[in-house]
Amino acid sequence: MRALCEAAVDAALGSGASYADARTVSLRRQYVVTKNGQVDDLSDAESEGVGVRVLVDGAWGFAGEGRLDEAGARDAALRAAAFARAAPGRHGVSLAPLEPQRGEYRTPAERDPFAVPLSEKIDLCLRAEEGMRQPQINVTSAMVRSQRERKVFVSSDGSLLEQELVGCGGGIDAYASAEGISQIRSYPSQHSGASGQGGWEFVERLGLEREAPRVGEQAVALLRADECPAGRATVVLDAEQTVMQVHESVGHPTELDRIYGTEAAYAGTSFLKPGDLGSLRYGSELMSVTADSTTAGGLGTFGFDDEGVPAAREPVVEVGVLRGFLTSRETAARIGAGAGGSMRADGWSRMPLVRMTNLHLEPGEGSFDDLLTEVDEGLYMETNKSWSIDDKRLNFQFGTQIAWEIKRGKLGRMLRDATYTGVTPVFWGSLDAVAGPEAWRLYGLTNCGKGQPGQEAHVSHGAAPTRFRDVEVGVGK
Amino acid sequence: MSRALELAEEALRAAEGDEAEALVHAERSGVARFAGSVVHQPTLVDNAVVRLRVVRDGKVGWAATNRADGLSELARRAAEAAEAARPDPDFPGLAPPAEYDQDLGYDEETASLGGEDQARLASAAIEAAPDFELYGYFTTGVTELALASTTGLRADQAVTDAVCICLAAAEGASGWGEQTSSSVSGVDWTAAPREAAETAARTRGAGELEAGTYRAVLGPYAVAELLRWFSYDSLGAQGFLEERSYFCGRIGEPVFDPKVSLDDDALDPWNLRKAFDFEGTPKQCVRLIEKGVIRDVVWDRKTAARAGEGRVSTGHAPPDAWRFYGPMPTALNLHGGQASSAEALAEAVGDGIYVTRLHYLSVVHPKEGVLTGMTRDGTFRIRGGKLAEPLVNLRFTVSMADVLDEVPALSRELRLVNLNDLYEERYPYAALVPGLATARFTITGTGSGPGL
Repeated sequence: MRALCEAAVDAALGSGASYADARTVSLRRQYVVTKNGQVDDLSDAESEGVGVRVLVDGAWGFAGEGRLDEAGARDAALRAAAFARAAPGRHGVSLAPLEPQRGEYRTPAERDPFAVPLSEKIDLCLRAEEGMRQPQINVTSAMVRSQRERKVFVSSDGSLLEQELVGCGGGIDAYASAEGISQIRSYPSQHSGASGQGGWEFVERLGLEREAPRVGEQAVALLRADECPAGRATVVLDAEQTVMQVHESVGHPTELDRIYGTEAAYAGTSFLKPGDLGSLRYGSELMSVTADSTTAGGLGTFGFDDEGVPAAREPVVEVGVLRGFLTSRETAARIGAGAGGSMRADGWSRMPLVRMTNLHLEPGEGSFDDLLTEVDEGLYMETNKSWSIDDKRLNFQFGTQIAWEIKRGKLGRMLRDATYTGVTPVFWGSLDAVAGPEAWRLYGLTNCGKGQPGQEAHVSHGAAPTRFRDVEVGVGK
Repeated sequence: MSRALELAEEALRAAEGDEAEALVHAERSGVARFAGSVVHQPTLVDNAVVRLRVVRDGKVGWAATNRADGLSELARRAAEAAEAARPDPDFPGLAPPAEYDQDLGYDEETASLGGEDQARLASAAIEAAPDFELYGYFTTGVTELALASTTGLRADQAVTDAVCICLAAAEGASGWGEQTSSSVSGVDWTAAPREAAETAARTRGAGELEAGTYRAVLGPYAVAELLRWFSYDSLGAQGFLEERSYFCGRIGEPVFDPKVSLDDDALDPWNLRKAFDFEGTPKQCVRLIEKGVIRDVVWDRKTAARAGEGRVSTGHAPPDAWRFYGPMPTALNLHGGQASSAEALAEAVGDGIYVTRLHYLSVVHPKEGVLTGMTRDGTFRIRGGKLAEPLVNLRFTVSMADVLDEVPALSRELRLVNLNDLYEERYPYAALVPGLATARFTITGTGSGPGL
């Protein structure tokens, strides 16, 4: 692979590129899905190829080629260079300096997920499904997934990197239906469960079988629950919903490519401006958010990003003030701060974009119960169900699968169809408690969309349960 | 015989099982993505994925690869998956041979375009709107599907598509335009940027709007996006069988305004045409809503077998990337009405709002057909039956039953709206829709202003 990448970079430089990098990717993904006691999907897909990125007269070119041989790699480099030369516009891309990087990185794993027999995975799913079954449950499903990505990266700057990222995950869902009402409960999340980097021990620790009876019982109980009322309330969010809030209203708006407008037509821009760095009040003093591509088990963990920048831990928000953006070498050079480190591509056929890696809300103090204790009347919301946010990442609306009333510091009656809405800095300004490290959990999402052509990124977020005051709930009721 | 079908046959010969089916999904495409009127993310892709589905003793497993030299390894992994699976009582068997019209939706000129052509046409689009910075992309591509199976089925189709989407934007102003066709000659590369710029010019000074339920005109882009999100749970057989669909218990009932008729028709010459689905079943036109009466959802072989009662696939088995959603519409066609223009739709509304485009939708309550999202890039007040002042982006939370319950008018003209966000392997699809006036569109909040 190294020789193939070097051939591509040489071909690009030979055709006039001032910079070039080549990245081979061999990706394997396996899914086991069971539904209603039957195997619903048993699939094992692999994809390999080389992506060549070139800079010609300050303009980018990129071509992906499924043939993994030197001829294919050279051909991709020449196509990318020809495209860059023909690209319209006033180009002037420059890159933040980077010392040549040499190294290898491999995800630490105790048990290779691909070495686990398929029969063991199927049995786990079927047992977890069995545990969810109740009268009025009309659909149960369980899923486990495994992934391995091998990458070789060579750049004209002199970097040579090899990485192997291994991950897996799983989740369960129960749908209940009666008298025109349909409800879902999921564990650990509705977004393909939860995933992390590491060996099969990650899936074993999820405890899908252990949680299954509760998931089934709650799905049925939701059929008889009252609807979430409308109004303004103190809201406590579980760690999983807090993670979604961090992802949508902190992660995406701090991507510097969005701030510069390169996602304007699709994912949108940001309410943040480059000059806000170091001064904008994002939220209350309890809000500290960190981007950390070194987090053990995170889906955004690597040795080097997809333009060769080493992994790092950087503040994004410190005690409520904006301190950092997620950057590439190009956007870091443009703003004159940072060195990149957030460039990631979805496979070999896509150009790297600025993406979240692992973005965490730092823990506060106390337990989940401590968060409830100081609430006379409010709502506790758990497990994301719906999510939407405007193109500048200001106005958002979320729904959760389940909620409970909080009365005098204790959880009361169960509520269904809970929603809340807000405006990003106002909402984070109303943050008045974050639970402590014991309640902090890491969640991995595998479906973060961005880019044209579209790219799905695997990202992780850590958070503990949070409490917000004076939130609009029960939207549209 | 195409190279894709040859590859499918080669994979089928390598298969080990009682039954087997090989699918080749190939793509040769280019995307010239631009921002600030500069191409900043060009992407050229040349790839072919082979999926091999193997059946052993009623057990089904599949594997996929893009390695042309990896077919024996592919066969081994597919067989291993099938061997490990459990017998599937709902498995209907592989699709039988069928006749197809394979000469649909392919244009040689479009297929011949390379990266430099795509960059040149992107440049033409950018130059057509000099008063605004342009954001969006220009793309053309060739997508090939080929299937070979032990039932004797052989299917092979290449389709082309050409899409130009444009956001014209500045501080405090933005507008949207797009053009979609199966051929490059069917796209006016200057029309999308001009449309975007004309809308953007009218959005400066946008004001807020009180939350509440308004009469509204939804432009074709907004209509297509609403229908796309409604389809995820409500228009496919999986959501229907699992009781998440709004259509559950309502088949045959007059639920919507009699002016509303909705088909899924991949054979319609005005849409992006397909001859067959990802199981090789010929595409059928499915009447989903007829004059306000709910008629059906779309089916693949597995959901049809599960439903029983003589159900058959309508040719809607999805690409691998969508398989967890089950069968889905890929060529929605909302019938037009009598309104001659957007102005005529505004007249039908009288007092309300005009919505050009929607952003970041989500399903709030699937069975009630409740969606939320934001308007963007051209939201206006309608006063006295005419477009009036611009509005900021608005959060809506609507039930599709409300939106389609009273439809004062639909436009006569239909627009083909691209719905393919180009994730995974390319599979072009679009909705053919009119503009629509509704008596109820509920605004639940305000967001940012238009523009950058």
